[in-house]
Amino acid sequence: MSDRRPVVVGVYATEQALSLPDRDAMDLALEAVTGALTDAGLTRSDVDGAQVDWPGPGGVPGEGSSWARLLGHGLRWTSDSMLDNAGSRGLLKAAAAVRAGYADTVVVGGCKLVARGAGPVGAGVALEFADVWGGYVVAQFALVAARHMHEYGTTSRQLAEVAATIRNNGATNPEAMMYGRGPYTADDVLASRMVATPFHLLDCCIVGEGGAAIVVTTAERARDLPHPPVAVLGGGMEYHQAAYANPALYREVGGLGRDAATRSYAMAGVSAHDVDVFSLYDPNSFEIIRQLEVLGLCGEGEGGPLAASGAIEVGGKHPVNPDGGCLSYAWNGTQQMTLKVIEAVRQLRRTAVHQVEGAELAVVGNAGSGAQHYEMSVLGRLR
Amino acid sequence: MSRPVPVPTELSRPFWEAARRGELVVPHCPGCGLRFFVPEPACPGCMSQDWRYAPSAGLGTVYSVTVVHRAPGPGFATPFALTVVDLDGGGSLLSHVDAGDPDDVVIGMRVRVEFRALDDEIALPYFVPENTH
Repeated sequence: MSDRRPVVVGVYATEQALSLPDRDAMDLALEAVTGALTDAGLTRSDVDGAQVDWPGPGGVPGEGSSWARLLGHGLRWTSDSMLDNAGSRGLLKAAAAVRAGYADTVVVGGCKLVARGAGPVGAGVALEFADVWGGYVVAQFALVAARHMHEYGTTSRQLAEVAATIRNNGATNPEAMMYGRGPYTADDVLASRMVATPFHLLDCCIVGEGGAAIVVTTAERARDLPHPPVAVLGGGMEYHQAAYANPALYREVGGLGRDAATRSYAMAGVSAHDVDVFSLYDPNSFEIIRQLEVLGLCGEGEGGPLAASGAIEVGGKHPVNPDGGCLSYAWNGTQQMTLKVIEAVRQLRRTAVHQVEGAELAVVGNAGSGAQHYEMSVLGRLR
Repeated sequence: MSRPVPVPTELSRPFWEAARRGELVVPHCPGCGLRFFVPEPACPGCMSQDWRYAPSAGLGTVYSVTVVHRAPGPGFATPFALTVVDLDGGGSLLSHVDAGDPDDVVIGMRVRVEFRALDDEIALPYFVPENTH
């Protein structure tokens, strides 16, 4: 019987920058797809599934099957949704397709320039009861953080320690948008201007442009490919409600991800403390503190002290975002989620810029409390 | 440039009509008794489509607050206190609490609704500290 365990065999991130004025979304998506295939040692003729953004021009914007023409043959698997084309959610859907036999080799990724020309990032659609109050993304996450601080005594300094740690990883990552910016101390973060309490400017992620893609296939197919395959050992998704239409309430979304984590670890046959490196959504410093709790590294309310203890540093007990995360490496719309998978894969291949020594097991966490959804995956070196 | 103006839908039109009269109403499901916000095509408690708007006394408690210093767009005077208000009797609203100084708005503060016209059509349910007159 063939070994249909799903594995990641190719990854590619385009240049990530605050602005890429000479590039368009289609051109970046194409570079990401061809780059990931080259990294995998595969060609377009190997691909029978495309969960890839199609921004156009050409084809039908938003319709994934537009890729069939460029790949030169028909597809067996596709997706029309931006969120299905990125991160753990895209990976898990591709992995499910590969395991079930709906497709053998699926590319996940793309590029959509959500940030271009915009002010602060909104939900992307008109929200009747949020927009009029200025309930934008940063502020909705802030409402969750503020309540956690109220209930558990989490401090602005603990948030600032998280921001400084992750930003300092990016400051020394040549691929990061904020390369060379730093090092920062918690005091620097606390001294930066206030955006929305409790978030200072340096507590918040950057906004930029770039594309990303990964290639998922079977362990069988991966045998003669160039890189050590990275196995999708487990995963889970949680959706509390549609994002940003209703304010995120800590009492409802504070635990978002706990159920996904419990199921993911059980599926992988591991526990939280077995994980060597975490590639987590960091739209702001607080969301890391909350994820330390729901991912099972500490109890509810204990994330602040744990995060500020040095545990999340590259050499710490629970390294988080060695690439610099969204705070310093890149945030580019939905494909920042794929960048989280890419960092985990590089860590497990042992080719990361800031390598966690002996990394065998990684967790990828996407989205979070303010967004009211969470998708995670557990990745490991194939045994 | 002004703030984004809500566009009433089939679900929300009675809410905005009541707001223009200075009345706060929230969806209430007679079947299961749930009061909820925002309005949905069916009751989140029991999925019944037979919910109705019911009057609210407009009193509540601040569940969470963020003082927004960077405006999300034109038409906002910063800083302002963006708040989630838990209404007495059920339902939670995103709103602003105007307490003079936004830094004075704290979690647990008792507040009452105060409608302010945004334009000829839309009046917005702001909140003010309960003891202000």
